[in-house]
Amino acid sequence: MSLAVVGCSPSGEEAAFPSRAIEIVSWATPGGPTDLLSRALAEAAPPHFEGRRVTVMTRQGGAGAAGMQYLQGRAGDPHVLGVFTASGTVNMATGRIPFSPGDFTPILRIQIDPFLIAVRDDSPFHTLGDLFEAAHARPGEVSVSGFGAASAHFLGFARLRAAAGDPDVRWIAYEGSADAVVAALGGHTDAAHTNYNIVREHLRAGTMRVLGVALPVEALPDTPSYAEQGYDLTPVHWRGVVGPPGLDPALRADLRARLMAAIEDPGFREYMERAALEYATMADADAFGAWMAEEVATSRDMLRRLGILDE
Amino acid sequence: MSAFFDGLLTALQPGNLAALLAGSLLGVFAGAMPGLSSTVGLALVLPVTFALDPTPALLMMVSIYMAAEYGGSITAIAIGVPGSSPALATTFDGYAMTRRGEAGRALGISLFSSMSGGLLGTVLLVLALGPLSRAAIAFGPAEYFGLGVFGLSIVANLVGKDPFKGIVSALLGLLFFIVGLDVLTGAPRLTFGTNALMDGLGLVPMLIGFFAIAEALEAVTGRRRSTPPGDGIAGALPKARELFGLWRTILRGSAIGGLIGAIPGAGATIASIVAWNEERRVSKTPERFGTGLPAGIAAPEAANNSCVGAAMIPLLALGIPGSASAAVLLGGLTVQGVAPGPLLMTERSELVYALYAGFVVAVLLMLAVGRLGIPLWTRVVRLRPSILMPLVVAISLVGTFSLRGNAADAWAALFFGLVGFAMLRGGYPLAPAVLGLILGPMIETNYRRALSLSSGSHSIFLESPISLVLILLAAVSFAAPAVRSRLISGRTRAPEPDTHDGPDTHDGPDTHDGPDAYDNEPRHEEHE
Repeated sequence: MSLAVVGCSPSGEEAAFPSRAIEIVSWATPGGPTDLLSRALAEAAPPHFEGRRVTVMTRQGGAGAAGMQYLQGRAGDPHVLGVFTASGTVNMATGRIPFSPGDFTPILRIQIDPFLIAVRDDSPFHTLGDLFEAAHARPGEVSVSGFGAASAHFLGFARLRAAAGDPDVRWIAYEGSADAVVAALGGHTDAAHTNYNIVREHLRAGTMRVLGVALPVEALPDTPSYAEQGYDLTPVHWRGVVGPPGLDPALRADLRARLMAAIEDPGFREYMERAALEYATMADADAFGAWMAEEVATSRDMLRRLGILDE
Repeated sequence: MSAFFDGLLTALQPGNLAALLAGSLLGVFAGAMPGLSSTVGLALVLPVTFALDPTPALLMMVSIYMAAEYGGSITAIAIGVPGSSPALATTFDGYAMTRRGEAGRALGISLFSSMSGGLLGTVLLVLALGPLSRAAIAFGPAEYFGLGVFGLSIVANLVGKDPFKGIVSALLGLLFFIVGLDVLTGAPRLTFGTNALMDGLGLVPMLIGFFAIAEALEAVTGRRRSTPPGDGIAGALPKARELFGLWRTILRGSAIGGLIGAIPGAGATIASIVAWNEERRVSKTPERFGTGLPAGIAAPEAANNSCVGAAMIPLLALGIPGSASAAVLLGGLTVQGVAPGPLLMTERSELVYALYAGFVVAVLLMLAVGRLGIPLWTRVVRLRPSILMPLVVAISLVGTFSLRGNAADAWAALFFGLVGFAMLRGGYPLAPAVLGLILGPMIETNYRRALSLSSGSHSIFLESPISLVLILLAAVSFAAPAVRSRLISGRTRAPEPDTHDGPDTHDGPDTHDGPDAYDNEPRHEEHE
């Protein structure tokens, strides 16, 4: 009797983490970059979680809100994790999802996927300056295609455009980044705002060129970054792991250490390389939390400036 | 050619063949289960492929994709519920044939046409990769708008005997598509402040609601068909002569599937409806479409399988997924370190040829797996609708939920079930509403996108030859049924074709799907 009571005590449970399978809640499109990160993590994690099964559980809907709600409802449970992205913080800023970074426990930012602007090989533009000058000269006639409206891509571009003196460049929203690239490849828009991995093969084949990249990419040594072209900003797409709210600090540190080990796994490294993504872990979990809060604030400022958000 | 045989040898290695076979079985299952689709099947095996080498992983995925397009027609034919959305058009004639007691014949025609379409789509993929990929990117906002309007003009052939009710149905579909986030501004529309409606009302819940739940309500309220559709239903397969006699239909369907399938985002559902409609247009007896004509099954089924090879064209040549299923495939390829794009053919030609050969083997395995399943399905058809339909509803709701793990989808299906039931009671055809929901987003977003590019000038739709031709075709297609029936009634009073099947005559108006009502059309014209 007394033994059973000891077995159920909170300290007993903590010592036993992980006491069952780990769930990664995925609210992203199947096969898309965020879903792939969840799955690569599920592959690499088990050895670092005492051999426990790590499963990806799909809960899509409400621009991610359905999955986030599930995660939020599992307060204090270290066995449930989710992959959070720049889209999540932008959706928080627009109010599209009824959550704030404080509703989750930030654990580990894993990767960044810098934005870039690409054009078809026969484009008259060679630098970001060319693109924005043309837009200043012919307002409303230069178009850039990219994923979504009031999305992370849109805000990344809006910030760049603001730094260039707000020329009238048309943002043509598409359902996906790949669709936006097709629009530029087909000559329907002048340029595409996208990520490196989506245009990588076209860059290698010479069918597309990059005008500028938000952060220097190892694979693009000759492409000047936004900063090198005089636009002092580094908008990136990022993805990281968060837990449910109210995670015990010791468990949070434990989870972070285990995930850090998992992403060093050779299989995971291979995935990162193949998907052309860069590691971008931060100093600690608090820094990741501060980053998320800052992302929400920056997005909100830009949305207000554009008149999309009131106040 | 020798490269192709090397590819064939690769595809026939035991491990690869096992992957192809597993894919066929899973694909037919995912396709046939209402709620699941090729996309879901692919997403399910995605984690499994992580552990495989690139070749078997890729072969398993293409095999699932191919087999699911046939699988969708099984439930469409057997119980009138499209197993996945590209089989929607197959319900028109396929289910009508089943109700006549010829389920085996209908399934046989579907399987043969799916096989032929799959092979022809592969031929297109191999021979026209370059030109078709260039044609695909020529589709910009104006062209997509034209394609959407052309697709919507098919409503004219789906409205049934009462054009007013058909148009109301189409408008209802267009109204439903508005729900959700506006793609171009990100603003929520008609969501009533709820998160559940943010992603809009999906096609899958609509298909489940309209074709499974509404039908089940009809069955359990005893309003229709209390007897099984045709006692002593024939499991007999079609004769070879009948199948080969469909070669023109299959060629046309495959060509339509191949062209529309290669355009990113257009997809197999639109292609199969267009193929059905074209077949009806060229037919000498268009009024009999929807009453169980072999060509009405062969055309959409050839088209949706031909789309599989075609959807690989933008994926392989440009690295751009042409469909939701191709997007999952791209994810799988990325993990395998295979980067599709302009250089794939030169750098990984052995893999590409193994893929081509894999398509051929996958089609043949689909034929074998499908053939073995036909006796089983013709037995399912013999169940009493009052038992079968609630079962179908239960399975469908589970399928709808598992699609995204979201209970809101199951609620949406129930909502559409009630809407569909009310529409059936009121004599409103359901197919136009489905077409509205599918094409509404394509038309609206591309219309606004085009105007945004042209600074508000509508001339953008006329300057593009593709868009202009499509819009003209749409006008012709929309007006054709009315003009033709006027001509016919002016010339001769066509005798009323007796296409109602004896034991299966319903007491209510037969508005299950639009075209069904077509056997009533001449009657309607005589009233004028």
